[in-house]
Amino acid sequence: MEKYLAFVTIDKWTLIFTWANLLILFLLMKKLFFKPIKNILKQREDEINSLYDKANSSSEKAEKLKQEYENRLNEAANEANNIVGEAVKNAEARKSAIIDDAKKEAKGIIDKASREIEQEKNAAVSEIKTDISSLAVDIAKKVIEKDLKKEDHEKMIDDIISKMGE
Amino acid sequence: MNIEVNGPKIVFTIPIFGGINVTETVVNSWYIMAFIVIMSIYLTHGLRVKKPSKKQVVAEKLYLMIHNLVTDVMGKKFENFVPYIGALFTLSILGSLSSLLGMRPLTADLSTTLGWALITFMMVQITNIRTNGFLGYLKSFTQPVALLTPLNLISEVANPISMAFRHFGNVASGVVITSLVYSALAALSNFVLGFIPNDFIKSIPIFQVGLPAILSIYFDLFTSFLQAYIISMLTMVFVSSAAE
Repeated sequence: MEKYLAFVTIDKWTLIFTWANLLILFLLMKKLFFKPIKNILKQREDEINSLYDKANSSSEKAEKLKQEYENRLNEAANEANNIVGEAVKNAEARKSAIIDDAKKEAKGIIDKASREIEQEKNAAVSEIKTDISSLAVDIAKKVIEKDLKKEDHEKMIDDIISKMGE
Repeated sequence: MNIEVNGPKIVFTIPIFGGINVTETVVNSWYIMAFIVIMSIYLTHGLRVKKPSKKQVVAEKLYLMIHNLVTDVMGKKFENFVPYIGALFTLSILGSLSSLLGMRPLTADLSTTLGWALITFMMVQITNIRTNGFLGYLKSFTQPVALLTPLNLISEVANPISMAFRHFGNVASGVVITSLVYSALAALSNFVLGFIPNDFIKSIPIFQVGLPAILSIYFDLFTSFLQAYIISMLTMVFVSSAAE
């Protein structure tokens, strides 16, 4: 014989079983479902946060390095400019020094050359004088056929030549 | 013909304390609890932080649904209510949906829904005392004027009763209407096929195919979801408003 409770009834044992069941289910679900999933979500969140932190610190580091390298590059460029400028200045100085030297040398050479030319000219002139005077003496000797005193002769010719040279 | 709509069947009686009746409601709730526990173990087996499996995605989704519902309604400080609300919601919804498998729904038993409603009632009182102190708790019944104290007391007591009867009534009416409809359809089949002089054919209740399924969508599926949602929601709202 199957026994039924009334359709609308409050059965104290069912009530107690209900409480016990809900309590047990609450504890079991908390332990078996909610805790593990909460933990896994927490772990994932932590991991994501740490990844973000890592990414942030990396990008900060990268930014710093970039800054540093840019600074260094600027420094290097400045230094290079300085070096080149220095070199150009040095080269300029050397150039003018060399040119000055060359000019001086050239001037010296020219001076020496003109002095030599002068000397040569003078030598040539005096040689020609000598030649001409002896030639004139010879010519006059031949013309006069008469032996003049050599000193008088030369004197006379020198006078003539110096008059001619004027 | 007579239609009998009974309460829960007594499955067995434990012969102590003058006989503890273990009814269908209790036995069915054990089945459902076993199912929930097995599903919990299955869903949370092999959880991974990276590359979650499909079932882990489902489990996390379920968790977050309940978690977000609780934290949205009650606020962050009631996060420890998540497992209780989860257990209540799951037991309520599966307890009502069990009628689809031909089991008697847990929630078609007033003792079940009243039990849950009384837990909510106790939580509300405890939360109120914790928040306002015992004097403040007593004083809260005399607000806004002392004249309203009896009404306040009645409304406080009425809350669990209305919660219990709302849930019970919705599911139990489904049980009643379903059995009425089955009987009526059987009678209709009998009437239509009555002229056939064959007892076997006459006894086939052809009209019981189809129509009850449509009713079942409302009385089982819709009501189950709705009532589980309502009882969880009311519990959350009552408890969180008691903390103000």
